[in-house]
Amino acid sequence: MKKGILILLLLSLLAGCSNKKSEATTSYRIAVITMMQGGEFWGSLKNGARSARSSTGAVLEFLAPVNESDYEGQISAVQRAIDQRFDAIVLSPSHYSRLEDVVAKARSAGIKVVLADTALRNQTADFLITTDYRQIGKAMAEHAFTHFSEGEPINALVIGSMPNTTSMTNLVESLVQTFSERTNARIVSATYSFTNETIAREITRNALESDPSINLVFALEEYTAHGVANALGDSSDIHFIAFGTTQFEIQLLEKGVIDALVVVNSFNLGYRSVMAAIDLLNGNKPAQKLVDFDLVTKESMFSEEHQRLLFQTFQ
Amino acid sequence: MRKPDHPHSIKTILTFAIAFVSLSVTLLISAILYSQFSSTIRENATVSTREIVRQVNANLNYYTNDILTIAGYARDLAKQTNELSRTEIEKRLSSIVDSRQDIVCLLLFDLEGNVLLSTTDAPRREATEIAKQTWFTRALGGEGNFYFTGPHVQQLFTSSYPWVITYSQQISYTNEEGELSQGLLLIDMNFRTVSELSQSAKLGATGYVYFIDNNGKIVYHPYQQLINSDLFNEDLDSAQEYIFGTFTNTFEGRQRLVIIDTVNNARWRIVGVAFMDELMAGLDQYTTIMLIVLGFCIVITIVLARMVSAYISRPIRELDRLMNSVERGDFSAPPTVGGNQEVAALSQTFAVMVKRIRQLMDDIVTSQEMKRKFELDALQAKINPHFLYNTLDSVVWMAEQNDTEGVIRMITALAKLFRISISKGRDIITLAEELEHVRNYLIIQQIRYQDKFEFSITLEEGMENLPTIKLIIQPIVENAIYHGIKYLQEMGHIDIKVFRRKPGAVVIEVRDNGVGMDEQKLATILSFDGQHPKGAGIGVRNVHQRIQLYYGSDYGLELSSELDVGTLVRLVIPEQSPIQPIKVVQS
Repeated sequence: MKKGILILLLLSLLAGCSNKKSEATTSYRIAVITMMQGGEFWGSLKNGARSARSSTGAVLEFLAPVNESDYEGQISAVQRAIDQRFDAIVLSPSHYSRLEDVVAKARSAGIKVVLADTALRNQTADFLITTDYRQIGKAMAEHAFTHFSEGEPINALVIGSMPNTTSMTNLVESLVQTFSERTNARIVSATYSFTNETIAREITRNALESDPSINLVFALEEYTAHGVANALGDSSDIHFIAFGTTQFEIQLLEKGVIDALVVVNSFNLGYRSVMAAIDLLNGNKPAQKLVDFDLVTKESMFSEEHQRLLFQTFQ
Repeated sequence: MRKPDHPHSIKTILTFAIAFVSLSVTLLISAILYSQFSSTIRENATVSTREIVRQVNANLNYYTNDILTIAGYARDLAKQTNELSRTEIEKRLSSIVDSRQDIVCLLLFDLEGNVLLSTTDAPRREATEIAKQTWFTRALGGEGNFYFTGPHVQQLFTSSYPWVITYSQQISYTNEEGELSQGLLLIDMNFRTVSELSQSAKLGATGYVYFIDNNGKIVYHPYQQLINSDLFNEDLDSAQEYIFGTFTNTFEGRQRLVIIDTVNNARWRIVGVAFMDELMAGLDQYTTIMLIVLGFCIVITIVLARMVSAYISRPIRELDRLMNSVERGDFSAPPTVGGNQEVAALSQTFAVMVKRIRQLMDDIVTSQEMKRKFELDALQAKINPHFLYNTLDSVVWMAEQNDTEGVIRMITALAKLFRISISKGRDIITLAEELEHVRNYLIIQQIRYQDKFEFSITLEEGMENLPTIKLIIQPIVENAIYHGIKYLQEMGHIDIKVFRRKPGAVVIEVRDNGVGMDEQKLATILSFDGQHPKGAGIGVRNVHQRIQLYYGSDYGLELSSELDVGTLVRLVIPEQSPIQPIKVVQS
């Protein structure tokens, strides 16, 4: 009896000390697949991912096609991640249906898939980290309305980047919805630049030529915004609301060409996606929380809060 | 654990006593060592962490002093505008700025925000815009007043947004009229130096150093971007609460060692955060090793305790076994046991005791034998007085009648009788001698009772020299005469027959045709309880007791009787090896 207790005590002591050695540093391999290689937005997302890496010890590999429109390239990037047996994939699908198969394939291969920013049409991933694009659309539209007096006709041109992404469709739908609720406000055209500055510039020029009544432009992505800015020129009385945090856009904001910049905290997006992937790999449930965004105007751009959001690449 | 009435074995008690004491001591020592070691580690960790933070602070101090030196140099130059051209001054300042990677630019403004001196010719913002920025307004308030900002986006030049730390100071300069006037000196630094300083401080695996200003706001934090995104929380409240010094607290489930020091020149404070679990990682390793050693010690202790207790208790068990065998009556085993001194002494004492017991038992056997002998002697002696008196009475009577022949026969028979009775003091005589004894007795009695009975004695061939205790037949015969034949009207018969009975018994049968006994009397005699009326049966009982005393309870008397028919008495004794008869009798 007493001996049994002694042995039990001994075992529990030994067990106690072996227990301490848990939570070893994970060296999970995670593929981060963005829509394209360049761009401020994706750069910041990658920075966030890197920050998550340095705090967890995970191994990251960034895979992306050169152009956002190259969803085939993105599919082959996911395939590469499957072939190389990554533990998890963080993916921003540039096509909401074409990537579904390869994502399903990755998941059936036991790879955790976290979608960042954009989702798939039929939710087939393990987790989704995104921002509230509908809320952004509403906020953009409502901010635009503040530049017009009550009843003044608003004719808006909306240029998105990739037509088949959930972010763009949500944004456009939300803009259309918000516009429909205001009298005399209409969206003349909603079209896509395929993240091509030149196409965006041409779309803007053609639209302005064919419909001179256009007095508001929404550019839903930074390259698109550059194209629109080129088309509008320095002095224009057309109101312009754009996505992005490029230096060019910030200059335009200061100059007054851009009325407001929509900034999605893509650093946060990248960090939380990688963290969510590691959580899933560890069998934990990631936190369900939307990524923050903000609407920055010339007046607020140097406020402490917006400085840090707007000038993200400061380190 | 056990019922109190169940005694524990010495082995168990010893095992637990040894194990308990050893384990207590081991555990106590371990606990003391552990607490000592852990406090030492904690102390060392605190000291080294404090040292690192102090070092970072010292480096930052060098850096700010450097900046102050440059500012001092610029201040001197600003007073020499009447001696040196603006271009020359700017050239000198530029050479300093260019020589340092961390300084972005150095400018001198008048109090309206207009640039007086500049190390760069990038397009600038409006003076009004500049004059309302924090670094500008905070440095105003008297000559020499200075201010260090936290990281912020530089807003001096159009289309350029670097992150900088600004040092600003209100100074006096010589204006174009050659008079001293108040201006504002600005040195913008990229904060690589600060971030490098912060990141060079390795406090454990994930500890870090950050800076806060005197309002408790973060100036620089290595996880600034995470903090911006609400992905990381910093415990600014307690940093603000403690202001200065070293403390530990728990924040978001982790125990932190926080060291706060003030930064010279900058009105900042440096905060070092180290995580206790990382600092104490060495302790974990130590704990593991110690627990393994402790476990090993415990096992060894238990094994040793068992061995020692077994060593001590084995001789006791041995002794116990010996005592048990003695208890069962086996005195042959030498009761000596090896082992420790006490048990050996005990065993020796026990040996002496056993020896003494053996001696006593031998004594008892001897005394018992003697006692039996005395009893026999007494019984034998009992026969004689009655008979002798009666016989001599008969002899007297015959002598009175002048029956000389009768007297001779009688005395001769009596002489033989006594010879055999005495038989050189031996208890055992041959059957022939015994029968001879009875014959002489019967002869005497025949004379006494004037041929009132006849007798016959039959001894089987070859049984003459078989041994028997002496004088066992005579009392039976005496009984037959006194209680059977004496009352008979017709001639009495006494027949004595000696024969063998299997297995190994000799039967001496005495049959008479006397009055016999009823069953009740027979039962009384047979019960041999000694409480019956005096006379009848005493002799018979004596014989029975003597046979049983000598040969054991398997032997003795068998009686059967019937009224008016007679009595049959069988004396049963064991058949033993023949012995030599006594010579005296033979003659």
